[in-house]
Amino acid sequence: MKGRLVILWVAVGIPLLWGVLKTLQNAMKLFH
Amino acid sequence: MTPSFLDRESTVAPPGFNRFLVPPAALAVHLSIGQAYAFSTFNLPLTKLLGITHSAPGDWDLKQVGWIFSIAIVFLGSSAALFGRWVERVGPRKSMFTAALCFGGGFLVSAFGIHLHQLWLIYLGYGVLGGCGLGIGYISPVSTLIKWFPDRPGMATGMAIMGFGGGALIAAPLSVMLMEHFKTAASNGVLETFVTMGVIYFMYMMIGVYSVRVPAADWKPAGWVAPTQPKQLVTSANVAVEMAWRTPQFWLLWGVLCMNVSAGIGVIGQASPMIQEIFAGRVSPAVAAGFVGLISLFNMVGRIFWASTSDYIGRRNTYMIFFLLGIVLYSSVPTLGHLGSIPLFVAAFCIILSMYGGGFATIPAYLRDMFGTYQVGAIHGRLLTAWSVAGVLGPVLVNYIRQYQIDNGVPKAQAYSITMYIMCGLLLIGFLCNFAMRPVKEKYHYRGSIP
Repeated sequence: MKGRLVILWVAVGIPLLWGVLKTLQNAMKLFH
Repeated sequence: MTPSFLDRESTVAPPGFNRFLVPPAALAVHLSIGQAYAFSTFNLPLTKLLGITHSAPGDWDLKQVGWIFSIAIVFLGSSAALFGRWVERVGPRKSMFTAALCFGGGFLVSAFGIHLHQLWLIYLGYGVLGGCGLGIGYISPVSTLIKWFPDRPGMATGMAIMGFGGGALIAAPLSVMLMEHFKTAASNGVLETFVTMGVIYFMYMMIGVYSVRVPAADWKPAGWVAPTQPKQLVTSANVAVEMAWRTPQFWLLWGVLCMNVSAGIGVIGQASPMIQEIFAGRVSPAVAAGFVGLISLFNMVGRIFWASTSDYIGRRNTYMIFFLLGIVLYSSVPTLGHLGSIPLFVAAFCIILSMYGGGFATIPAYLRDMFGTYQVGAIHGRLLTAWSVAGVLGPVLVNYIRQYQIDNGVPKAQAYSITMYIMCGLLLIGFLCNFAMRPVKEKYHYRGSIP
C-alpha cells in the first residue's frame, strides 16, 4: 500500500513540478 | 450479477485502505482536463494548416478557431449540469472512464478534422465531445473526495481542483514541444500533436480510473468523531439535487461563484495586452507572457491554499476575504498603474488570481456545508453553469468597456480604470450574496434512505 501511495503521488507530482518549473522559468523574465 | 470493473460496487475500498491514494486519482483526471486552459497555444498554428509557416488562402482565421475553446467551455458547464446525477449514481470510476473516452476521443476526432481540413469536425471533437469530457471529469471525483475527507473537505477538493489549474502549466509547454518535434516541411505538427495528446491524456486519466475508490457506507477516518456542536452554516442533513436548486441558498451560491469568476476570468483573458498597455514601452510581449504564467501559477496555488484555509476559518469567511480584499485590490490597480510600479501591480494580480482559483476550489466544500454529502457532486455540476455565464460576462465586460473607452479617446494606459471599478461592483454583488447566506430550511431536507 505504501509503495502504491508513493508511485501514485510521483506520477502526478512529476508532471506538475515540470509544468511549474517551466512556468517559473518564463516568469523570471518579468524581473530581468 | 457480478458487478463490472467500472461499476460503483467494484470500487468500494477494503478495510485499511489509505485514503491518501484517492487525491492522486482525482489529480490525474484534473491535470489532464486542465489542458483546456492552454488550448490557446493551438490557435495560431490552426490558422496555418495549409500555409504551414503563414496563413494561406483557405486557412481558417483566428475568429473561427476561437470558437473551439468557447464551445468546449459551454459544453463543460452543460454536461456537468446534465450528467451530475448520473455521475453520482454510477460512481467515480465509470464517470472518469467516460470522461477519458470523451476527452481523449475529442482530440482524435479533431485530428481527423485537421486531416480533412473540416473545422466543424474540430468543433464537434474538441468542442462538444472534449467539452463533455471536461464537465464529467471535473465533477467525477468531487463527492468521492468529500466522503473520504469529512474532516478536511476543503483541502481534499482543493487538491483535485488545483489539478485543473496545474493542467494548463503542463499542457502549454508540452504542446509547444510536441508541435516543434512533429514539424516538417509538409506539416506544422498540430495534427500529430493532437493524436499524441489524445493518447497521452487518455492513458494518464486511466491512472485515476484504476486507482479511485469510494469509502464503505459506514466508513469514518480513524479517531474522527463528527462534531456534536452544530455550526451555523454546516448542516448534518442532506438535500437532494432536485430540491437543492429550488432553495435560495443554491442561487446565492450561484451568484457568489459567478461574480468571483467573472471578475477573475475577464482579467485572465486580457492579462497580456493589459500589462503591456498600462506599462507601455516597459513591458515586452515576452515579459507579458511571463506575467500570464505567473498569475496562472497563483491561480493554481490559490486553489489548494484557500480551500484548505476554509477548513479552519469557514467557507463564508473565506469568500468574505475574496470579495473584500478583491475590491481593495481591484480599486488600487489604476493607482498602481499611475505610480508605474510593476512589482506592486504584479503582486496585486497574483493575489487576485489566487482568490479566483480559490473560489473554484472552495465551492464544493461550501455546497457540502449547505446541502450535505448525499448528491453534492450533482449539485456542484448544476452550479457550474455559473462558470459558463461568467465565461461570457467577464471577458465581454473587460473587452467591450476597454474598446468603448479607447474609441472615445481615452489613452490605452488608462482604458482599464473603469473596468477595474466595474469588477469591484461585481465583487460587491458577490459579497452581498455571500452575506445573505443562511442555513437551508428543514422543509427541503431529504428524508429517504441514502445509498
